[in-house]
Amino acid sequence: MRQIPVPRTSPGLSVRGLTVRFRGTTALNDVDLSLGRGVHGLLGPNGAGKTSLLRVLATVARPTEGDVRILGLDPQELGERTEIRRRLGYLPQEFGYYPTYTVREMVTYLAWLKDVPGAQAPAAVERAAERVGLGPALDKKLRTLSGGEIRRVGIAQAVVNEPDLLLLDEPTAGLDPERRLEFRGLLRELGETATVLVSTHLVEDVAAACAEVTLLEAGRPAFRGTPDDLIASAGTDAEAPGDSPLERGYTSALRRHRSERAQEVTA
Amino acid sequence: MNHRGPTTEWHLPDADVQAYAAGGLPEPGCWSLEKHVEACARCAQRVSDAVRTHSPVVARSLDATRSALLARIGAEDRAGSPARAGGTGGRLRPVGSPRIPAADTPRSAHGRTGGRQHPVRAWGARLTWAAGPALGRSWLFSLTLVTVAAVVLARLADAAELRPLLLVAAPLLPVAGVAVSYGRHADPLYETVAATPSAGLRLLLVRTAMVLAVCVPLLTAAGLLMPAQGGSPGAAAWLLPGLALTLLTLVTGSYLGCLRASAVTGTTWPLLLLTAGTTADPGPADLIGRVNHAFANVASGPAQGFWASAALLCGGLLVLRRTSFDQLERL
Repeated sequence: MRQIPVPRTSPGLSVRGLTVRFRGTTALNDVDLSLGRGVHGLLGPNGAGKTSLLRVLATVARPTEGDVRILGLDPQELGERTEIRRRLGYLPQEFGYYPTYTVREMVTYLAWLKDVPGAQAPAAVERAAERVGLGPALDKKLRTLSGGEIRRVGIAQAVVNEPDLLLLDEPTAGLDPERRLEFRGLLRELGETATVLVSTHLVEDVAAACAEVTLLEAGRPAFRGTPDDLIASAGTDAEAPGDSPLERGYTSALRRHRSERAQEVTA
Repeated sequence: MNHRGPTTEWHLPDADVQAYAAGGLPEPGCWSLEKHVEACARCAQRVSDAVRTHSPVVARSLDATRSALLARIGAEDRAGSPARAGGTGGRLRPVGSPRIPAADTPRSAHGRTGGRQHPVRAWGARLTWAAGPALGRSWLFSLTLVTVAAVVLARLADAAELRPLLLVAAPLLPVAGVAVSYGRHADPLYETVAATPSAGLRLLLVRTAMVLAVCVPLLTAAGLLMPAQGGSPGAAAWLLPGLALTLLTLVTGSYLGCLRASAVTGTTWPLLLLTAGTTADPGPADLIGRVNHAFANVASGPAQGFWASAALLCGGLLVLRRTSFDQLERL
């Protein structure tokens, strides 16, 4: 695994030896990762452990083993965990919602849960909705919105408290191409001030918006580097399948990791 | 400045005022007029009015200056006295200046979450939020329906034995409310909420309090409205058992999750009644009579003491278990 120096202007997050096991399966196996300010992509096949990693980082799941520091704080300590949560934006893979709420009510509710001061909340809610292009839909009920719009409500609630750490699990699922382009712009903007970790299975999202990519495979990091490094990694593997250079880089990095692991097992 | 001035002796002639406003008064006359209005409020007002009628442009400019000045004074005033800043969170906004539209604070169509809310409405919104899914429409609807139906039925039939039936069911209703208020099974927003600083016991208690705030007055009032037999437990007899069972649900919920905990407490209560009902020696023959008898046993004076100490015990246990609601129930 290649190590790329990351600017340490904000504490970001670091995990060491992170292992998550549940119901007999190992979701994450001895993962080391540290991220600073900027947009980071989290790639990997289904079941690679992306969601488990994001849940641990969002302080909603307890790691089985390992050391986790988020924004320089320890999520195991109640007081520090609350402080992390105040500065955290999290979009879960399944963003449940209350269908009878309007967009404004939903985002305001989350702002309230995140301790955004009451006097600042209305402006913060409107700004968050504007950022995801839902300004005109602020007073629409959620049950009247499309799947892509609901996803954008989820992104709006995640950014409403101007988080220092933003964790987005499959944020582009259900977004049409035009919205995806806008969303990448928003990601780059947020990455200027915050640590942003985006899990996705769309390789092109990563190329467009992420400064850095981590590829997970079977609970272990298979690759870490810039999108260009990922493209370059296909160079040695001419047979890697894929429709774009990045896709070929993705599949060849996965293949290489799998064969290395197979050798480890047989050795 | 001389405030006593020539205010009573002499005032500006109308012709001079009009000429000044129109810009046609010769310069020496202007000096004299301006000197006079510095000291004479009455003539200053006359000149001001005349200028406003003659040239609206100047009037607008004056208004803008006034508003800006008031805004500045308001801001400085608030900065100086933090106690007054609470209402608008210290945002610069003029006080007592109705001329400035609050263009930077658009309101929603319902005015619920706009910049400046009516305090009562804001509280209404807060309470709705506080309840979250707990006071779901279906739960609220069925609760109200059952209660109203029970009251109407009992009064129509003048059936005094119906009231204990309501009181027997009453402690289970807040328990059911807790079941649907927090946790992965009950709250579609659960995982998003779990990552906020309000998550855990804090939010669960807020929602439980909302459930109790609905249940307690509604069920107690219903009990009072129903005809009662002499010697049967009062309409408030369910309150302590209800509180103890709710707290027991919360404590059990810290191990099992709210839904399963509610199921456990929901079965404990009828089992307890069953035990209390069968201990009676010459127990009543009919079912309603038995239930009444059982409730009279579990809600008697000494039993109330037991419920009070059970509630205290569960409250103490809950404090000890306070951090356990804070992580996902199961990954």
